[in-house]
Amino acid sequence: MGEDEEEKQEIWSWGAGTDGQLGTCKLQDEHFPQLLHLPSLSSAGPISMLACGGAHVIALTSVGKVLTWGRGTSGQLGHGDTVNNPHPKPVVFSESCFVTHVSAGWNHSGFVSDGGSVFTCGDGSFGQLGHGDFKFHCSPVKVSYFINKHVEQIACGMRHSIVLLKGHSGDQVYAFGSGKRGQLGISKGRVNSVCLPEVTCGLEDVEIVSIAANGDHSAALSTDGRLYTWGKGFNGTTNAFCPVCVPESLCFTEVALGWNHALLLTAGDGEAIMLGGNNHGVLSNPDKMSSVKQLQDSRGANLERVPALEGKKVLHIAAGAEHSALITAEDGVIRSWGWGEHGQLGLGNTCDQMRPEVVILSQDVHKEATKIKVYCGSGFTIVLRSLAQTSAFEC
Amino acid sequence: MSYDDVEIEDMEWNEELQAYTYPCPCGDLFQITKDDLKLGEEIARCPSCSLYITVIYNMEDFSGEPDRKTNKGLEPSKQQTVTVA
Repeated sequence: MGEDEEEKQEIWSWGAGTDGQLGTCKLQDEHFPQLLHLPSLSSAGPISMLACGGAHVIALTSVGKVLTWGRGTSGQLGHGDTVNNPHPKPVVFSESCFVTHVSAGWNHSGFVSDGGSVFTCGDGSFGQLGHGDFKFHCSPVKVSYFINKHVEQIACGMRHSIVLLKGHSGDQVYAFGSGKRGQLGISKGRVNSVCLPEVTCGLEDVEIVSIAANGDHSAALSTDGRLYTWGKGFNGTTNAFCPVCVPESLCFTEVALGWNHALLLTAGDGEAIMLGGNNHGVLSNPDKMSSVKQLQDSRGANLERVPALEGKKVLHIAAGAEHSALITAEDGVIRSWGWGEHGQLGLGNTCDQMRPEVVILSQDVHKEATKIKVYCGSGFTIVLRSLAQTSAFEC
Repeated sequence: MSYDDVEIEDMEWNEELQAYTYPCPCGDLFQITKDDLKLGEEIARCPSCSLYITVIYNMEDFSGEPDRKTNKGLEPSKQQTVTVA
């Protein structure tokens, strides 16, 4: 410990890669984890978080800078153009700002600054950029609705965005974009699209710690561990046009949304629970899951414990469109399951998996991972790993 | 098995591909052309993977003569709401 050790960050990626989203510069799918060699990233300093969208990646550095790569055809990379870019490239903002939070949707991106401002770019066809129009933008544009307000987080889905705002009168969630399946939560009736932020109903007096969006789903987690979901129903259940609380007997610390499933992490015992997923996030096939204790959320979809973890506590969860990944606490091992056609499970093949399977990054015995986090895009997966290494032993 | 059922009004017209598209979970796009729709085809495929969706549409909206087509405003706009008589 201490001065003799320094931290080195590694990024590994696998899965669908034809738009350059893996950062491998090869524009092809990868079935095994690939260690990236990205000079532009290493020179930008440590990465504090990643966000993965339909086919692009946003990296936020510890000094508030942002780099993006992958599909850029709608301007979602924020590079001022509409082309794919397989190499990480800095996003230039119109004003100097320290970015604190980022999110990647299907073809759009959202950035929050330490001053509480929100910037968006990319596809705006459904109003998901929040600028009052349906245009695309290829550089980040400040969402003027939130000027003089303090935004903490943004979450971008397929065609919508939600924003967490902290104010004197409590927390509020705002939403914009497509609301067809209730994912905006702004009205009890059907909403097509809104291009200016509107407040999500039913979350008054709820203190919110985090928000999530993917596909046509939205979710918010309260400080006391309650989970609210709205939008497309899980497992063919009805769409929810306002936030609905998942059974209050359970307390959650993390939520990750796919296109047809959600992963939840329980407080305390660190259990991974899955909601929905009758397609490729395959765990909740009722025929195969009869031995697992089933809970039910108030919308009728089943909540099931993720099997085959042998009582291991889960540290972190992530969900792609139709696949899932998690990291177990004590050993820092990555496991993945669900749809595998593009190699997004990182198991060296294109098979689907019903249960979490161990993903092996090539091991270096002299190094020990101090931090590890997994992120899923629609059809790909990225791992950010920090290694402690003793300088004296480096050859 | 069809991945999803998607109404034509929820698909986007892609000028470059000359096809109606909808996001595929692999990252690519499900695609179906106007010609396919005229022929009554209801499967939109993804060129990158094995998945496909079933497109829900009214065949009459695509089978008419050219002048009728323009009258009915079939040049798709993303915010278009399709009214079915």
